[in-house]
Amino acid sequence: MRAAKPDIPALVAGLALLALGGLLLAHSLGVVELSFALVAPVACAATGAILLANGLGRGG
Amino acid sequence: MNSEDPTQNTPQDDGPQAPAGGPEAPTGGPQAPAEGPRRMTRSRQDRVIGGVCGGLGRYFNTDPIFFRIGAIALAFIGGAGLLLYLAALLLMPSQESGAAAVASSGEGRNRVLVIAGVVVILLFAWPFLLGGGLLAAGLLVPVAILVGAGVLAWWLVSGEGPSGEPKDIARRAALGVGVLILCAVVAFGGAVAAAAGPDWLVAAVVIAAGAAILAGAFLKPVRWLVLPAVALALAAGTVSASGIDLDGGVGEREYRPASTTDLRERYELGMGELVVDLRESDLPSGDVPLELDLGIGEARLLVPDDVCVAATADIGMGHVSFFDRDHGGIDLDFAERPDVEGDSTRVLLDAEIGMGELRVSHDDYRDTSEADFGSRGDGFESSQAGNSACATTGQSASG
Repeated sequence: MRAAKPDIPALVAGLALLALGGLLLAHSLGVVELSFALVAPVACAATGAILLANGLGRGG
Repeated sequence: MNSEDPTQNTPQDDGPQAPAGGPEAPTGGPQAPAEGPRRMTRSRQDRVIGGVCGGLGRYFNTDPIFFRIGAIALAFIGGAGLLLYLAALLLMPSQESGAAAVASSGEGRNRVLVIAGVVVILLFAWPFLLGGGLLAAGLLVPVAILVGAGVLAWWLVSGEGPSGEPKDIARRAALGVGVLILCAVVAFGGAVAAAAGPDWLVAAVVIAAGAAILAGAFLKPVRWLVLPAVALALAAGTVSASGIDLDGGVGEREYRPASTTDLRERYELGMGELVVDLRESDLPSGDVPLELDLGIGEARLLVPDDVCVAATADIGMGHVSFFDRDHGGIDLDFAERPDVEGDSTRVLLDAEIGMGELRVSHDDYRDTSEADFGSRGDGFESSQAGNSACATTGQSASG
């Protein structure tokens, strides 16, 4: 039985949110000191990845 | 390209003012070219408002849509399009009345009067039209951005792209705007929760949402969850990066300690205005430590002229006004550690501000502003006084 093909946009969005959530958790635990210099690129990269995956995965 | 109905170029439509030898004049047909110059008239058939653009299109043998687009564009650039359209409406005769207008001997005088009227209107109304045009553009651009954002949001949520009938696009834009409003509510709630509650809570919610979306990618996609979760994560990230902490309450706090015993080592406020006024305080010689912790807002430290201030400030996003020097930006780290001579007093300020402004000065700028408008007149000079009680300065700022 062949496994179902994952929904790529949802897959990318899930991974991006896990990364963002992990970063926030690391900050709350004192592992990472968040600053705008770190948050801004990470947030842009995550948002861009989600938009890109939606564009490529759905084709509008 | 000409999208006009070709029947309007027939002599029946154009009437006596049909162009003679013009691009639309029949050649070699039974209709003899009309005598006299080619006349520009408002179109009777191809009209949206007054037939001005339709008439221009016919006159220049061009698709009237170009004139319509130009008129609309000019209407939003200072209102020139409206004025020009009004002038054309007044100056261009309609098709049916063209012949009669030509025959009228008083036409020339009336035309001059109309032109004079338009010029007078232009002279007096131009500033108002300009303001109206800017106002309309100021409203149109945000609405266009909102519609675009709504379509994009709905595309992300539902997968329905920005194509189709205008009715469908409007529906998607409206639904998308609804989704954006929901996201704004979620973001605000997340920001407040991150600033006031335990940091890990919002992080756990974001991770749970990410895990649910990831699982849904293999089982059943939950696209509707993506945007709210991203909004929550970005809001919490902004709060964490700023270091905003709403512990300490909200409002306006002003402290005027009279002596060292009244002076606390730490003053804290979540959101609002925090003022520590030491100008009437009896401060001891040597170093006096002082901490200011503010989430969002403005913190002011006011010191006597004979007191030196050494400061370190960590500001997520905002501005520092330290006597006669100013710094602003994000992730701002400010430090000035001057020395003092003898047994002078030095306040050791340590400020933590999430988003907002820190002001350290000898005079309250509120009093200074009042003095500027009052009879004192020396407020500006005194507000510019530096950290003059210190022997040396050692300043650094980054961010």
